[in-house]
Amino acid sequence: MYKNQHETTPNRKLTPMSAAEIVVAGLRKRYGATRALDGMSFTVRPGLVTGFLGPNGAGKSTTMRVILGLDAVDAGTALIEGKPYHSLRHPLNHVGSLLDAAALHPSRSARDHLLWLAHSQGLAARRVNQVIEQVGLTSAARRKAGGYSLGMRQRLGIAAALLGDPPIIMLDEPFNGMDPDGIIWMRGFLRSLAAQGRAVLVSSHLMSEVQDTADHLVVVGRGKAIADAGVADLIAAASGNRVALRTTAGTHAMRVLGHAGAAVAATGRDTITVSGLPADRIVTLLNQSAVPFSEVSAHRATLEDVYLELTRDAVEFRAATQSEVSR
Amino acid sequence: MRLALHAEWTKMRTVASPLWLLLGTVAATVALSAVATSVVNCTARGCGGDTTKLSLMGVYLGQAPVAILAVLVISGEYSSGMIRTTLTAMPRRATAFAAKAITLTGVVAVGGTVAVLGAVLAGRLILPDLGDQALSLADGPTLRAVFGTVLYLILIGLLSLGIATAVRDSATSIGIVLGLLYIFPIISGTISDPDWQRLLQQIAPMSAGLAIQATTDLHSLPLSPWAGLGVTAGWATAALLAGGLLLRVRDT
Amino acid sequence: MTPTVTPYRPSERVGRDGFLQVLHAEWTKFRTVRGWTVGMMAAALMVVLFALLVGVSSNQKGSPPVPIGPGGEPVTDSFYFVHQPLAGDGSITVSVSALKSSIPKAPGDLRPGTVPWAKAGLIIKDGTRQGSPYAAIMATGSHGVRMQDNYVNDTAGPTGPASAESPRRLRLDRSGDTITGYASTDGTKWTKVGTTQVSGLGSTAQVGLFVASPPAVGGGGTAGSVSTATFGDLRTQGGWAGGNWTGSQVGAKSPTFAGYPENAPGSFTGSDARFTVTGAGDIAPAVSDSLPTGGHLRNILTGTFAALIAVIVVGALFITAEYRNKMIHLTLAASPRRSRVLVAKAIVLWAVTFVAGSVGAILATPLGLGLARGNGVYIFPVTSSTELRVELGTAALLATASVLALSVGAIFRHSAGAVTTAIVAIVLPYILIAIPFMPASVSKGVATVTPGAAFAVQQTLVPYDQVASNYTPYYGYYPLAPWAGFAVLAGYAVASLAVAAVLLNRRDA
Repeated sequence: MYKNQHETTPNRKLTPMSAAEIVVAGLRKRYGATRALDGMSFTVRPGLVTGFLGPNGAGKSTTMRVILGLDAVDAGTALIEGKPYHSLRHPLNHVGSLLDAAALHPSRSARDHLLWLAHSQGLAARRVNQVIEQVGLTSAARRKAGGYSLGMRQRLGIAAALLGDPPIIMLDEPFNGMDPDGIIWMRGFLRSLAAQGRAVLVSSHLMSEVQDTADHLVVVGRGKAIADAGVADLIAAASGNRVALRTTAGTHAMRVLGHAGAAVAATGRDTITVSGLPADRIVTLLNQSAVPFSEVSAHRATLEDVYLELTRDAVEFRAATQSEVSR
Repeated sequence: MRLALHAEWTKMRTVASPLWLLLGTVAATVALSAVATSVVNCTARGCGGDTTKLSLMGVYLGQAPVAILAVLVISGEYSSGMIRTTLTAMPRRATAFAAKAITLTGVVAVGGTVAVLGAVLAGRLILPDLGDQALSLADGPTLRAVFGTVLYLILIGLLSLGIATAVRDSATSIGIVLGLLYIFPIISGTISDPDWQRLLQQIAPMSAGLAIQATTDLHSLPLSPWAGLGVTAGWATAALLAGGLLLRVRDT
Repeated sequence: MTPTVTPYRPSERVGRDGFLQVLHAEWTKFRTVRGWTVGMMAAALMVVLFALLVGVSSNQKGSPPVPIGPGGEPVTDSFYFVHQPLAGDGSITVSVSALKSSIPKAPGDLRPGTVPWAKAGLIIKDGTRQGSPYAAIMATGSHGVRMQDNYVNDTAGPTGPASAESPRRLRLDRSGDTITGYASTDGTKWTKVGTTQVSGLGSTAQVGLFVASPPAVGGGGTAGSVSTATFGDLRTQGGWAGGNWTGSQVGAKSPTFAGYPENAPGSFTGSDARFTVTGAGDIAPAVSDSLPTGGHLRNILTGTFAALIAVIVVGALFITAEYRNKMIHLTLAASPRRSRVLVAKAIVLWAVTFVAGSVGAILATPLGLGLARGNGVYIFPVTSSTELRVELGTAALLATASVLALSVGAIFRHSAGAVTTAIVAIVLPYILIAIPFMPASVSKGVATVTPGAAFAVQQTLVPYDQVASNYTPYYGYYPLAPWAGFAVLAGYAVASLAVAAVLLNRRDA
């Protein structure tokens, strides 16, 4: 879908320092008594889609505004390719961003909206036509943006982010208000951007939106990052080395496996969770002792579980639980 | 209707800007009146003019915050999109609009009364002792001028509400309202033909309406005090009708 | 586990980092919102439409013509003249022993008063036609002896009033076109007050005594006055025909002459050596107050006020719309140097408004002037450079007002407050000025310190020291010079732009 207009410079040498495109370190910001950011630190690397996850009010949008130099911080730094945003000569050639798809003048056409933006970076009008085509808005480009659906505005916002052909793309809640087709389009689009070597930062408050898209996750709560790791690592860490076993002879199986050094726990009437032994060893042991079983499977935690576990304490606005209400 | 009124009143009192704008009206009216009465040359025989009108001159300035208040009542909802919530909650648009107009009338009546009485008080304190010519609310024409000025402010509020409902953008509405108010007296000041001048003074919402403040030389006015206020009322009615009609037929 | 990736790098682009790009972006923004371009066109149209309205609605057909002086300027040339013809060269001498003025308190109720520029003396004039060339020497109410010629020239002589104890002796000599005036306070020592060349006097001029009494200025208006002078020791030399002195009222019917107070007509009594002359009127350049039917260029450009409101609305929206739509985030992400954005906006807005205003004013002026003149209105004359200054000054006034609105909009981030503040700051001062009973000090103060001072760019009238009048903004006389008045508005605009820049840099977007 995305055709690269500019060839990547092939002989560019990469130093480890240049590997991180965005480095956020120790951001702190207060609004009166509220701590919006409380030591936010993370990095965004090229070639990956980084999911920026956290409940509403955790500081995701504020962090993005700080990265873009829109909000000032009390402490900390946010650097783009090692430089503060305001020192970039043509910022849209470095970072393309979409904060709010509704942020446009309703009586200006999509094309004119992109045109002024292009002019601010010294880009030719030709580039505007390219990005309009890229996001599939060509037929509507001369209509007033005020009449666009939310999905069309999202596409227009993406077009604005791509305008400077930047190595970094930063999108705030891009899935909000999108229909299923749009969500599928967006996921493929983000993957293709990362595949070209771009660093992509996508914020969301729903794990399910980024689950199949992100390579790397930064989970935030109460103004700081509480996890910053690859998706596979996070899942592995949450899953442990556990195997689920379905058997009618639960007591027998637990004794056999316990003798072999595994930690065993009954989790249901005929289900047992085993940790400390790989699945093939478990099958061999059970067969040797003639314990009947119907199913052996590796237990996998979902990202949803990981997310809920991580953010449980960090949720700012949570409905009162049943017990709190009854009191 | 009672529910709609209650809702509009709650909207009005739960944001800070209406109160500030009303205080602005009071401050602007009293301040300009105080300046006007303190710079006029007075002798023992009088101040060479209509002292009541002079003391009430502050409404030239005081009407501006009233106009903003009235414009924001509706255009604030359009710019935030809250108008959809309002019309979902009160689907009978005429009722919702009337509730807004009535609430505005009440609020401006209170603020306007305070402003106008403050201006009269300032005039009494600042103007030299004029004996039986002193400003007094017991004097029929003076009372009519004071009461009529409050009515004038209400009409300016309703005119602004109507225009803002039709235009839906606060800046443009305020431009139109202030233009309507201030440009007529400027043109009639530069036009040399007395017939045209008189005509302009008869149809301009501000010049005509403020005829209600005259207490002397009534026969030399382009039109009588109450007829003048009637002209302003006509403007307000036309604006409200246009705004109300557009609100009913337009999509939001 | 993260695989080694090649970060994406766009090809290097040779692009100038620059303010010009921000400027280009802001221009694109401006021209692509139809409402704003329409607003600017409306502003230009207002200026033209109001000029047409003013032109059509004025009607002075059938009124007597305005007297024009030798320099082309409108003049007041109405006075009481006691004269004889003088052929060729000659001279005349007289003493003024009293000059008393009266001002009516009520119709028919004349009271003695002071008229500083009441005039009594000798005049040599090319006939009794209004506006004809002259030279005169005179005693005045409170400005001592003066020698004046051709309405605009004025030279001071001995000071002090004329009285029976200390009469002022005056002498006027003609030698060709050269007129010389002398004055003496004791009858023996004469001082030359002035020598002047008056062309167009003709070989035979009317020469004699005159009394003029301009309206008394007070309370924001004027009241017609009348003055009576006592002359003695009248002596003549040279080509006099002899015979009786003739008393004439020069310019009895004139737009620049309000007439005599009730029951006090012009007259003269006496003969040979002693005369008592009563007169009213003035021999002086016309001012706004003395030529109330005269139009000025600024009247034609009344539409400036309507245009002001339109450009203020557009100026405020140019920035507040970005705040309302949150597009300011995108703008500042694209151009992180915020002051640049603000300055670029100001430049684009100023330039666009200036162009619109210039088009409006340059079209409106000839149209309005043509219509008004067609309806018999006399317009105070202006040079073409003054006309251009008024037109471009009006455009600059509109442009700067819109930048003021932009700055206030950037400070408030809210259109309603910004529009009201800008309108009240610029239009309200003018309305206050237009209230006739405002004391001159107050209206001059308002026209000096408020942004409304910039209306001075539309000033075309010149005040004269030798004419007492209401030189107030209401009558078209501004306390500040045209560009100085404009500088006051520009000062407000620049100051608020600076405040806006500081706030824009300091505040979170």
